[in-house]
Amino acid sequence: MGLLRDWHYIEKAVQIPALSEVIRETLIRALFVRDDRVLPKDLIADLNRVPPVTVKVKDDGEVRKLVRVLNGEESTVSLGLSAEDYHYFRTQLGVGRTREFGVVVRPRTLLTYDWIVPEQRGVQLDFTGYAGIEFGDAHRAIAQVGATWKQLFDDGLTKGHLVPFVPTVPLDFAIGDGLYGDAPFASYRGEFASHVNALRTISPFGHRARLGFEEVANNGTAYDLLHATVPLAAEFFIPVAVALRLEAKPAARKTLTYAYDDGSKLAVALDKLSRTSQTPAWVHVTDAVASKILRPASAAEPFAVQVSIGGTASGMAAKEKAIDAAMAGFTSKNGEVPNPFDVPAAAYRKTADTVTRSLFVGEVRLPAKSVGDFVAKTRAFGDQSAAKAGIYASLRATGTVSSFPFFAAPKDRSKVYDLSKGVRAIAAKTPGAVFTSRLAHLWEEEAHFMRRMAFLRALKLTIDTAHVVQPLVSP
Amino acid sequence: MASLDYAYRRLVNTLGPERVARSEFERMVYSHDFASLPKIALLQWKLYPDFVALPQTTEEVAALVKLSDESLLQITPRGGGTGWYGGSVPNRGGVMVDMRKMNHVVAFDPDGRTVTVEAGATWKDLEDFVESKGFALPIVPVNAIGSTVGGAINTGSTGFGAPRGGSLRDAIARLLVVLPDGSLLKTASDSDADGQLANLTPLFFGAEGTLGIIAEATLRVVPKPESSKAIAYAFPSLAASARFLKEIVESALVPFHAALASRDHFIFERALRPDSPDPSDVALVAVQGSKDEVADQERTVDGLAAKENGAKLVPALADQLWRDRYNNYSARRLSRGLVTSYNLIPVSRLPEAVDRAVEIRDKLKLNGAVQAFLVDSTTAALVPYVLMDDTRPSGGTALGFVKRMGDAAFKMNGHSMGLGLFLVFNLRKMHGRATSFISAVKVVFDPRKKINGGKTLEVWTKYPWPGLRAIPPPGMAVGLEIAAVLRRAKPTRDRFVRAYERGKEE
Repeated sequence: MGLLRDWHYIEKAVQIPALSEVIRETLIRALFVRDDRVLPKDLIADLNRVPPVTVKVKDDGEVRKLVRVLNGEESTVSLGLSAEDYHYFRTQLGVGRTREFGVVVRPRTLLTYDWIVPEQRGVQLDFTGYAGIEFGDAHRAIAQVGATWKQLFDDGLTKGHLVPFVPTVPLDFAIGDGLYGDAPFASYRGEFASHVNALRTISPFGHRARLGFEEVANNGTAYDLLHATVPLAAEFFIPVAVALRLEAKPAARKTLTYAYDDGSKLAVALDKLSRTSQTPAWVHVTDAVASKILRPASAAEPFAVQVSIGGTASGMAAKEKAIDAAMAGFTSKNGEVPNPFDVPAAAYRKTADTVTRSLFVGEVRLPAKSVGDFVAKTRAFGDQSAAKAGIYASLRATGTVSSFPFFAAPKDRSKVYDLSKGVRAIAAKTPGAVFTSRLAHLWEEEAHFMRRMAFLRALKLTIDTAHVVQPLVSP
Repeated sequence: MASLDYAYRRLVNTLGPERVARSEFERMVYSHDFASLPKIALLQWKLYPDFVALPQTTEEVAALVKLSDESLLQITPRGGGTGWYGGSVPNRGGVMVDMRKMNHVVAFDPDGRTVTVEAGATWKDLEDFVESKGFALPIVPVNAIGSTVGGAINTGSTGFGAPRGGSLRDAIARLLVVLPDGSLLKTASDSDADGQLANLTPLFFGAEGTLGIIAEATLRVVPKPESSKAIAYAFPSLAASARFLKEIVESALVPFHAALASRDHFIFERALRPDSPDPSDVALVAVQGSKDEVADQERTVDGLAAKENGAKLVPALADQLWRDRYNNYSARRLSRGLVTSYNLIPVSRLPEAVDRAVEIRDKLKLNGAVQAFLVDSTTAALVPYVLMDDTRPSGGTALGFVKRMGDAAFKMNGHSMGLGLFLVFNLRKMHGRATSFISAVKVVFDPRKKINGGKTLEVWTKYPWPGLRAIPPPGMAVGLEIAAVLRRAKPTRDRFVRAYERGKEE
């Protein structure tokens, strides 16, 4: 259940004489869809294994104790389980035999799909109940990994803070899903990692270890391991809480909604907006399919762009005027259309339930000016594949659009794989675009990328010498 | 180990005689960075490099790194030498690799909004180049005139534009690094892939040249703002100016830059340049946006300044302060040396922090000034400096100020910046139990400790013998603490500027 684990597994698999003849991409497909015509049965059984024990975490002390038990520093007695649970735990894990046990963290909500190689014989941690949020006197919060983004956003506003990052696809993510899942948190000015000041973690030896600084930025303190590992944090240590940098809640906030009838006009407007000195909180783009899901009561335009701005009451008019000028080419503009985030929690979850029915393949990052072309190609591909396509996207100040194409199709692994391949092909033909899904990482064979992955693997093995945090697995 | 003459010949064969130096004078120039060091430091470190090499291409840097496998000489990379902690001075001699001849812009991509530049270019030169193309850098490090691109990345620098432009780390699209085995590594994907596709750039941000030598950096550029304006205010006290900066964050305003400088700073400036502003506690704010927005932001900032009884300075003075923003340490000319303490502290504690800096300076009977600026919505950089004359016997005791200021920053839940050679004792204070994770990075990239060894994580001496080869980091802390105690016991204050002294006596 992690990039390094999957990558390592595939690297090892291609070295197996019987599998070395198989083209890497074919092997990845076979592993992903569990193809028993290509792979031996015992290997398929390994891939279909589920962690035998799930622990619902209530306190990080439990995690510390559990890690010590799993890395052999303490006995299962010290877990303090009831007699029944004690025997269940030992039997399920096969404690007493000479085996390594791993511990993995289960994301609350997955946008795309699970990793290829599951935890083989260890413990899965469920942080759903570990969901406290602590706001400081300054504009920061320490959120336990199980806290939902929506809870953080709403509580922050109540206490005078603005949570600067929002999910590009509005699902009911936990904050931890940005660390060990695939939650697409971002703001106009930065990615999720740029809003993370520190992580509270449990080390592979069961110690509490803090990466970064909870109250200030992490500059000039030797290697910035925090930001290098944010998307893979749970493969190096067990993150239990995140110190987040928030902003002051502006005196006035407004969401401007612009409609476009043409992808090329949309692309020009997005590119132009990112070339101004405007700093909206976020800029989200939806096509007609996505707009219909988010706002079923409204008539869906071919494209809609929502721009969230904030500032002093007196300065809002100037901001709006500047953004209107940049967004030229729109067919209509509305300042009253609600955005997906500033709604009651129940309504947000209801929308999320609808959004999650679609099949997502991952993120395509591309220059703003290529958006129209990309959406048209994705739609055509969806129609060819009998899976109607749509798109959620967000714009960055860098001029890059982070897009999440989705399809109306059943979520079976073969379909996911085939659609992913199609989207990858479209991204490859779009200048400046890159497909960054989990599968795309495994497909990538560029020499520098392979070297970077090898360094990350070596780093993981050096930090986790106990082989307890999502230990690497070979076929 | 090969003889030094053999090593010299091999270096000359690689770079040519004009780009390899071994004269006493040249080696002396490279034996210190911005901080002055007392001569006693030569007892424990070989601060003079054996050779200074000036590569002009990435291939030459790689060749130099590979050569060290033959010569077994340590490699110390160096940019502009504007650091303060000995990160770019040798501890065991060896080959000093001065990157400043690698100062060209390699590529400029207006569509992708990136510029690729060699690591030895200064930030000011890069800023001028980018502005000539109609763009701007999102963030420019504090010592932009002397600081090189590679140097600032290696020190994990902050700087002008951070509140709006974000961290320098986020402004780096990717790096091209010469690794300790002489091979090249791109730290991130060629595409803008966020943190995906295994982005190792953050590991090199603040690495102090201990993982490899940064040869090229691809940096993000942003469109030039439609309009920008510098606004300055004089405040009745330093604490009032600090409260003003805090209020800017509370008001949800995102200025391009917001900084303060104490009255003492302007006393030093006045002693050097009669046309400098009248001494007072000054805050300088730069705002950007459309013309209407700039006007609105200025009104908001005026309101915040008025709450703290700030008097607005005339626009010409604000413009002058903004133009001179990269000249922060002219006061060095008054005393022959200057010590700076660079710390990050929570914005919420900035008023307390500036008072604490003044208190420490006065207790240690030093001449100095306090500067601070906003980094982001949670963080402010507190950068006080003190004057020192290292030619006097008591001069070196001023280094105790850095230790005391660092301790104060940690107490305020912040941290000092930089480890280098002198401040390694702060590593464990910074990272606690995660220190072993941080150390693991060096083990993975440079297990033989070839590049800038004996720094950042440990303190090597010049002696290779067991027992003497390294100083336990707490030992360095004790040394600096003794310096602070001696400084405090000194019966008289330093006297560098009469006007400054008069101000203290009033």
